Amino acid sequence: MENAAIFGWALLWILFWGALGGVVTPRIYARKDLEISQASFGGAVIGAALGPFSLVPLWIASPKITGRLIGIAIAIVIGIFVASFALADPDNLCVANGGFVISQLTNGIVIGIIYGLMALGLTLIFSILGVVSFAHGEFYMIGGMVTYFMSAVWLPGVSPLVAILASCIVTFVIGYIFERIFLRPMGSGEIERPTEYAILVTFGLAFFLQYFTQALTSAVPVKAQRFFPFPRVELPAESGTLLKMTPGNVTIFDAISVPNPRFTAAVLALIMLAALLWFLYRTWVGKALRAVSQDRQAAAVTGINPNSMNTLAFSMGAMLAGLSGASLVQVFSWLPQVGIPAAARSFVIIVLGGMGSLPGAFLGGLIVGLVEAAGTGCIPDATRAAAYIPAYSMVILTLVLLLKPTGLFGREL
Amino acid sequence: MNPTAIYRVAGSIAIVLLLAIPFASSELGGVGPLVLSSYFMHLAITAFFYAILASSWSLLAGYAGQFSFGHMAFMAIGGYTSGLIGKFFRFTTAPSELCTDIPLLGNWWLVILNIRRVGTIDESCLDMARAETLPAGTLIVFPPVWASIAMGLVMGATFGLLVGWLVLRLRSTYLALFTIGFSEILRASISAEIPITEGQSGLELVPLFPGGLLGFTSTSKIPPYYAMLLLFLLAMALMTWLAGSRFGLFIRAIREDEEAAAALGVNIVRYKVLVFVITSTLAAAAGALQGHYIGIITPNTLIILQMSLVIAMAVIGGLENIYAASVGAIVITFALELLRTSINIGPLHVDMTLWRLVFFGLLLMLTLRFQRNGLLFPILERISRGGVAEETVSIREESEEDWEEEVEVDQLEDSPSDSGEESAG
Repeated sequence: MENAAIFGWALLWILFWGALGGVVTPRIYARKDLEISQASFGGAVIGAALGPFSLVPLWIASPKITGRLIGIAIAIVIGIFVASFALADPDNLCVANGGFVISQLTNGIVIGIIYGLMALGLTLIFSILGVVSFAHGEFYMIGGMVTYFMSAVWLPGVSPLVAILASCIVTFVIGYIFERIFLRPMGSGEIERPTEYAILVTFGLAFFLQYFTQALTSAVPVKAQRFFPFPRVELPAESGTLLKMTPGNVTIFDAISVPNPRFTAAVLALIMLAALLWFLYRTWVGKALRAVSQDRQAAAVTGINPNSMNTLAFSMGAMLAGLSGASLVQVFSWLPQVGIPAAARSFVIIVLGGMGSLPGAFLGGLIVGLVEAAGTGCIPDATRAAAYIPAYSMVILTLVLLLKPTGLFGREL
Repeated sequence: MNPTAIYRVAGSIAIVLLLAIPFASSELGGVGPLVLSSYFMHLAITAFFYAILASSWSLLAGYAGQFSFGHMAFMAIGGYTSGLIGKFFRFTTAPSELCTDIPLLGNWWLVILNIRRVGTIDESCLDMARAETLPAGTLIVFPPVWASIAMGLVMGATFGLLVGWLVLRLRSTYLALFTIGFSEILRASISAEIPITEGQSGLELVPLFPGGLLGFTSTSKIPPYYAMLLLFLLAMALMTWLAGSRFGLFIRAIREDEEAAAALGVNIVRYKVLVFVITSTLAAAAGALQGHYIGIITPNTLIILQMSLVIAMAVIGGLENIYAASVGAIVITFALELLRTSINIGPLHVDMTLWRLVFFGLLLMLTLRFQRNGLLFPILERISRGGVAEETVSIREESEEDWEEEVEVDQLEDSPSDSGEESAG
């Protein structure tokens, strides 16, 4: 960093005016007898955007704080943040090299799609059962493990699709059994304080699954072969300036480079996402699931059995986590402990997107993917940048909890 | 005898026994045929360490209904703060000129050593200062262990306050979500900041009593035994007093129904933050003491295994009773050591060292599902009742059944207001 001071002062400026806006605006709105539900959050982002130049007009005119106003303010904040970073460190790869930036963004989106798929499972469980599954990361881990062992140890040479299918079945079945034995009694009032029980019992499941896998597989990291190597293609021939494919990589326009495992994982995730949307919006069972998430009593009146919907939602959520694990086992090396950071990331995503919101989970996944890509690409010390990957999403979580605990599309938990 | 008297007598006997155990240790020659090895003494110290963690976690989770998965993070904050103060802070009688010097009272200076780069064998700035600038006869004093442990407590409380203030305004699920991430981020930063924390290789701490104590050497198990026992008893006394006071009533009211408690005038956020800070500080105290006793602390103490163990101890002992949780911790610490074996079932060779944790995970889930009060708490309760109160218990059960029937009748008459929503919330 050449001029770290510029970045530091910009950050301080944003934080100071953001805090001031967040604290003072609701009081002014309350005194003027206006609606204050958005005032704290809106005041904070508007203050962070232009400081006194936006806060003073806001306090004098006190317009209704709309989503559009907040959106513009957030865009300005991000702009100031990026501009001050670029001024502070003009030689950084992610400022000077446009191709690197686009590659990094593409990779962020690609990985964000898979994060989104995993978080979608968690948010599906939450929207139907009202339970946050703390074993979500373990389903992710098991999905990857089963895929690896199917394709490399038990049935070497089998199509990766079969291995992925097997991992889906295994995680679905584990989710099904667990829900039937441990979560079903919650609905009947047999369990006191069900929220607390759910937190602990899913955590117990995580503990059990993690050490069960460790006892079976030992703690040696494994990594699957890439599922579908690209063919060798160069367009136009010889130079490959438009499109260049090698078995492990694809490069478009000589600039955007995406590794094969991430690409196939994202394509798999998109296919699953399309299948999931079709299932939720076009089939009877999917509509029944959404009906239960909106109103259990009314759904029961129309002949939907909420209990079996609970089981289905939990098993499907577990399967989605297993599927994202299955598609990522060719990207990262796999240990029985990989589930924990992945689960923590999913928690961030569903809080960011709003608990129980399906589009929120997907959008949240993209945002977290982009932030992680920006973090790993832009922080000058590369080893440190990689070590702090879990920290980037935690910064988002802290900001969301401070500013808008209901998330982007959330309802109150 | 009434139950309180039985509790008191049993408690006094237990305390006397715990105080007497070191006299049977091999260091003091044992008592007759009973000679406890120093390995046993080590286990006992570890058991007290886990007992402090499990019982303070049960105060947070079982009494106040706030589920933190970051208890081990606060434990590590205590240990690392104390260790880092021992590593970087010195008191001298003259400024070193090369390090960061902060003047204190009189002619004493607080010297903060420089952070050395990884992979170099640079001398520390104080060593260089001693060779060059420091006048002869300058005293260099290590910070006392008790003071660095106290700073560990302060840091634990500060972080507890920050996390609690951020998250406890919201529902309890958010605390669970946030603390998992908090302990992951702490583990990541401790592993990454190698020049400060030594990363995965672990931060070394000075022994609890660097010069020995009362004729015992610094590696003797007996002074740390009494130190950890003292902390355990102090923690239990503090928590017993808290649980029995208005504070205990308030936090249990919060657990049962936050809205109702708030409506009755309990400042729910303040009391939730307070109980979180107190239990985090206890965890930090246990961590600092254990760190100095073991002599090293690594980021691996933060992995979820450790947290799950503490939870399993508290739940299997009895989540809603601090004594049951601490007894559970002691029993499970010893059980885990006894299970470090392997057994042969027919042709199968089973390495129990691996499978014991699977077993405890399963036991944790089954306890939660079928025996919510824990496995040890009912036994403790039976002892304290002494059998005489069974009649009252059966009467109470009958009256509860009556009450439930009445409720059912009420519900039929009032037409139930969506009970599904309740189970979902």
